[in-house]
Amino acid sequence: MKSERSRWVFIVLALLAGIGLGLAYGWLVDPVDYFDLTPDTLRADYKADYVLMIAEAYRADPDPGLAARRLAIFGSQSPESIASSGLAYARSSGFADADIVLMKELVTALQAWSGISP
Amino acid sequence: MRRIPWDIVLALVVGIGLGLVYAWLISPMKVSNATPAILRADFKEQYRSAIAAAYAATGNFPRARSRLELLKDPNPEDALNTQAQQMLARGQSGQAADQVAALAHALTLGIEGAVPTSNPITEAVNQVEETNTANLEPASTEDLTFVGTETPSALPTDATQLSEATLIPRSTRTPLPTQGTPFKLTGKDEVCDSNLSDGLLQIIVLSSNRRQMPGMEIDITWDGGENQFFTGLKPEIGNGYADFVMTPDISYTVQLAAGSDIATGLIAPTCQTPNGENFHGGMKLTFQQP
Repeated sequence: MKSERSRWVFIVLALLAGIGLGLAYGWLVDPVDYFDLTPDTLRADYKADYVLMIAEAYRADPDPGLAARRLAIFGSQSPESIASSGLAYARSSGFADADIVLMKELVTALQAWSGISP
Repeated sequence: MRRIPWDIVLALVVGIGLGLVYAWLISPMKVSNATPAILRADFKEQYRSAIAAAYAATGNFPRARSRLELLKDPNPEDALNTQAQQMLARGQSGQAADQVAALAHALTLGIEGAVPTSNPITEAVNQVEETNTANLEPASTEDLTFVGTETPSALPTDATQLSEATLIPRSTRTPLPTQGTPFKLTGKDEVCDSNLSDGLLQIIVLSSNRRQMPGMEIDITWDGGENQFFTGLKPEIGNGYADFVMTPDISYTVQLAAGSDIATGLIAPTCQTPNGENFHGGMKLTFQQP
């Protein structure tokens, strides 16, 4: 009887160990290959660079509505919030001052923007 | 000799299977560090448009090229050209399409400053960058932190820097086609090919270095009518190719909207097949920027 119970304990432990091994392999060793992703999955530095691109374009064509539409590819966050996140990353990662100035201009413009194009 | 505990081995295998099903199918690892190369095609297009808009604003070619490399397009120039044509065909903003096409053009020529800008600051930036190209060329494009910090060091932030920048002589540039330069009609040929549509008017627009130019508007007029069409809508034939089917016995006049020689008296010629049958041939016009 005792031997039978310990056998079941080993089986359950083996099952749990197998699940653990499977999860580790599937999540860490060989995770799913992704493609056709949406921009909100981009790494933070790519997101910040995208915000910088929009800021550079905004300097030449100061249309906050256009900038907001371009930033909208990141999903449900507000354009101002997306730009602010990019600016925060740029500050913490040592982007050049000139780039940070551009991004600040964009953030300020989006904060003031009503969301309705004139 | 101890026998193998098959029930325990089986439990381990089943456990691994369950773990993999959960990790790969039910709850795969959430992606939060994707690269632009694995974005969906339409988002890649928006990414390219943003790169082109930034390039149009700053003229910073090394930075634009580094950003394009992140998308890992097999041929970035073709990808940009195709996108510009598709944007025009979809009736999207002509300015955005122009920016994409301009970046493709700059990429083709491999030079910076292909986009004219009225912004004196960016003009000065261009001058500074041209003198520092060797230092500014990115060695790797995988890490955007590098891209983000490489060129801005050259950005002038005060009047002193601007004035220093203007003293630096510009490097030699390859002349670029501009909209103000009229195109020359360099070819006007009758085409008798029974495999083509009757009365097919084929037009090819070339830059000064004989590159086909997409997105060029063509105006065609005839007695009692006119029409406009664009090059580049049939990229399988050529980026600078456009065509129009002429009605027999009607005389047409063609000119590029950007300014060109005027091709007049264009009438579908009468041709003969080897069997002696008559058919209406076409014409082929070639415009090139001097």
